[in-house]
Amino acid sequence: MSNNQHILRAFDRDLESVQALIMKMGGLVETALSDAARALETQDDDLAERVRLGDAAIDAIEEEVNTECARLIALRAPMGSDLRTVLSVMKIASNLERCGDYAKNLAKRSKVLATMTPIPGAAGSLRRMAKQVELLLKDALDAFIARDAALAEDVRQRDLEVDQMYNALFREFLTHMLEDARNITACMHLHFIAKNIERVGDHATSIAEQVIYLSTGAMPGEARPKAEVVTKGEAEE
Amino acid sequence: MDLERDVTTHTAKIEARNVQVYYGDNHALKDVDVDILDKTVTAFIGPSGCGKSTFLRCLNRMNDTIPSARVEGSIRLDGEDIYDPRVDPVQLRAKVGMVFQKPNPFPKSIYDNVAYGPKIHGLARNRAELDEVVETCLKKAALWGEVKDRLQSPGTGLSGGQQQRLCIARAIATSPEVLLMDEPCSALDPIATAQVEELIDELREQFSVVIVTHSMQQAARVSQRTAFFHLGHLVEYGETAQIFTNPKDPRTESYITGRIG
Repeated sequence: MSNNQHILRAFDRDLESVQALIMKMGGLVETALSDAARALETQDDDLAERVRLGDAAIDAIEEEVNTECARLIALRAPMGSDLRTVLSVMKIASNLERCGDYAKNLAKRSKVLATMTPIPGAAGSLRRMAKQVELLLKDALDAFIARDAALAEDVRQRDLEVDQMYNALFREFLTHMLEDARNITACMHLHFIAKNIERVGDHATSIAEQVIYLSTGAMPGEARPKAEVVTKGEAEE
Repeated sequence: MDLERDVTTHTAKIEARNVQVYYGDNHALKDVDVDILDKTVTAFIGPSGCGKSTFLRCLNRMNDTIPSARVEGSIRLDGEDIYDPRVDPVQLRAKVGMVFQKPNPFPKSIYDNVAYGPKIHGLARNRAELDEVVETCLKKAALWGEVKDRLQSPGTGLSGGQQQRLCIARAIATSPEVLLMDEPCSALDPIATAQVEELIDELREQFSVVIVTHSMQQAARVSQRTAFFHLGHLVEYGETAQIFTNPKDPRTESYITGRIG
């Protein structure tokens, strides 16, 4: 990544403004996720409704990013790291838009769950999981702005923890359903929520991979480095 | 992957090693090593005065015509040193043709412009053969349809884009193996530019084409390989898509993204 300014300074301003949109969008998504998880735990219907309505603003920014990127490609013909920036920005916007949808879905389900007998401990576990994912998202976006491939790599590795939390919750919900069939509806909703939060983690990983592409010019390989290290260690022993 | 753009299996047509060019005391080109591939379009890009045109002119010994110019190192065409004293530069230029920035048709008829090369090199035995060569070349240059009814009119009476295509027809009439183009589209409008670019893409089935251009979009559109020159050095040479999406050298990055290097 070249830190030098463009000879044509309007180009710098265009690139900066589209990246500022991504940060604004990221901020809205983080808030939506955290609010939705809080609404679930505190059974706050008003907060859930605000999250649901707030998704339109996130979608609107994605549109704006796409329009700006199309304009940048048409008018500035970006090359090299500028081209990679524009491509990454479009993909990240689409990742964030999906995350916004998941937060909205969480909010909707939280309103439904508020009418049912609560499953003990579930909302608290989900909120912790959401918190973890929010951190991944925040770090992925910080890595994007700083073009920090090392931090992005860290995000990729930490997604494993989210997957483990999801697996643990899956077993927990299964147990509740086996214990009492009346828990099934609530547990199904809770399971979808867990799955959706886990998906947000996948999108954070995808953003991190874009950051690696952006700063190195190549997408990271299929296997995550953590898994590779483990295999290597075993082979050496 | 995109097979059309994959030229990795093509052999080297021109091998340049340790090429230095001096204009008097000015060391204009320094230690250039490059393999120009056969049946491939290679683009030379770089800021003004970087040496790209100088290097292009080395490839058919056009620098011989400049008294103060001195070329060192080796440039081989199909393994044969083109600076060997036994090589006749005129014969060499029949094999390594050139098209210039400004269309420069001879002040002769359209027909004679194309027929001139084959005539002096004895490539046609009779009038019928010459007619055939002229028609084939004008067709290859995508000009035949526009001029077939007025082959005896002066070449200078054509539009700029037509004149440039006439010059290309003239350059390919001697059946060259390599075609050098120095900013062939800088004086043309976008339609004529597109026609010349389409032609370049067709020509690469038969020849190796080397094009010097200031338009990076043009380099990206027509070439499979790109070489970036800066201050007399060949800074980076590689697959065109790689040069424009992920250049390795920071100087290339600064140049192609339009940054203050």
